[in-house]
Amino acid sequence: MKRTLLVMLLVFGLAGLAFSAGGVKKKKVHEQDFGNVVMDSNAIKTGVNPVLFEHWVHRKAFTCRVCHVDIGFAMKANESGIRAVDNMKGYFCGACHNGKSAFSGGEKLFAACSDKFTKDDLKRCLRCHSLDKSAPEREARLEQREKVFRAFAEQMPRERGGNGINWEQAENAGLIHLIDYIEGHSTKRPSMANQKDFTIGVKTEGVPEIIFSHKKHTVWNGCELCHPDIFVGVKKGTDKYSMIDLFAGKYCGACHDKVAFPQSDCRRCHTKPVQ
Amino acid sequence: MMRGFIVLLLLLAATEATANFNLPPLPSREEYGTILINRTSTANGQQPVNFSHWQHRAKFTCRVCHGELDFLMKTNATEITERANRSGKFCGACHNGKIAFRHNGNCDKCHNGEIGYSNSKFDGFLFKSAMPMTLAGNGVNWSAGIASGAVKPQTYLKRKSEDMTFDKELLLEAEMSIIPPAIFPHKAHTAWLDCDNCHPDLFNIKKKGTHFSMTEILKGNYCGVCHLTVAFPMDECKRCHPAMRE
Repeated sequence: MKRTLLVMLLVFGLAGLAFSAGGVKKKKVHEQDFGNVVMDSNAIKTGVNPVLFEHWVHRKAFTCRVCHVDIGFAMKANESGIRAVDNMKGYFCGACHNGKSAFSGGEKLFAACSDKFTKDDLKRCLRCHSLDKSAPEREARLEQREKVFRAFAEQMPRERGGNGINWEQAENAGLIHLIDYIEGHSTKRPSMANQKDFTIGVKTEGVPEIIFSHKKHTVWNGCELCHPDIFVGVKKGTDKYSMIDLFAGKYCGACHDKVAFPQSDCRRCHTKPVQ
Repeated sequence: MMRGFIVLLLLLAATEATANFNLPPLPSREEYGTILINRTSTANGQQPVNFSHWQHRAKFTCRVCHGELDFLMKTNATEITERANRSGKFCGACHNGKIAFRHNGNCDKCHNGEIGYSNSKFDGFLFKSAMPMTLAGNGVNWSAGIASGAVKPQTYLKRKSEDMTFDKELLLEAEMSIIPPAIFPHKAHTAWLDCDNCHPDLFNIKKKGTHFSMTEILKGNYCGVCHLTVAFPMDECKRCHPAMRE
């Protein structure tokens, strides 16, 4: 009897949970924070501040591919298992942040992590391990980061949602030049011809069909970032994508909403005029 | 033991049933949709801010503030600060002396702590705009007003949203067999809102499967996010359940 009661209560409890899902947003992601990732898988264990990684700082200079394919960062926060020793050996962040590499005639990138350091070097640690436990210091740093972001964003084509920056237009217009090759990590191969744009049908009548452009995606991602992990892509029409899945972070949702423009900007993808 | 369990079940059923008709009391029509914002005001020695939705929605659609300007849909959730306002965010996007009155010298137009501050202007608005009338809420049929052009609210400030037109009407069967179904018109909503005001946060887009029960709506979920507080209140059953008898 007791067990039945327990089971019943559990069922009621779960049903309650299911109904309470959704609701108004409790917090708005600011433009400067969109795409930011807090990495703390090892940082907290070792007692240092968590790392605040800003996608926008990196994507203004590099393709997504160099980090997520050539260097091998996972597509989910805290799943790469980055350790200080890895960085010191030249893996992960250390692939570029090694105190030697310089890109596009810029200055040498600071070295990430070291086992020997002086008191002055602490400043360097804080460039990534920036999420101080003390609130005033953390706030001050975030405020500084916002200023840097604003100064950059003002130069870029603006749009609504996400970073408020239309990255696709920025790249097209030559406002940013993406580096797609990192010495010692990338291999140059002749690129494949892009497939022509194609439409993806919709289930709901009245919703414009999607025009998918490989070309727009391969600039940043090449082939390997999406295929075969995110989209198996064997035969067109095999996979059925639903917006429920997408909003839950599958398929397009692996990037869109997190780093690439948000999926709530319907018209960016659903572009084909309704017949 | 068994008896206790049955009582529990009956109690649950009873609360569900009564909650359905427990509509919250309505403020006067000129005060409907007016809120006092007090996130940090009192703590900083200021009066709470009076904000009347009717004054604003006569000039701007919901999407301008709740999309472009990042106002959240819950009172006191948005991190509005004086500094943010003065740098052109939130209220400051318009209240800058160009579109609407500026900060300096106008503190108590907003920081007055009086919920009825704008009430006296309501009749003037009715007189001037020739809005179609209705029973509850503001006593104004905003939806018919925007359709007829009695109000012409602006749809964006700087960056226009490109939303798709989606006119589909949904037929939502009611939980109780004696209640006729609700008709949901997308068009009446997209006149004011962008897709992302509702999707996927308030309504995911699962066909069948999400049940917007009146109990949940009355708790302020789903339709209740707007239709208890700003959009016409649920006292007007027929506006959603058109086949309902009075």
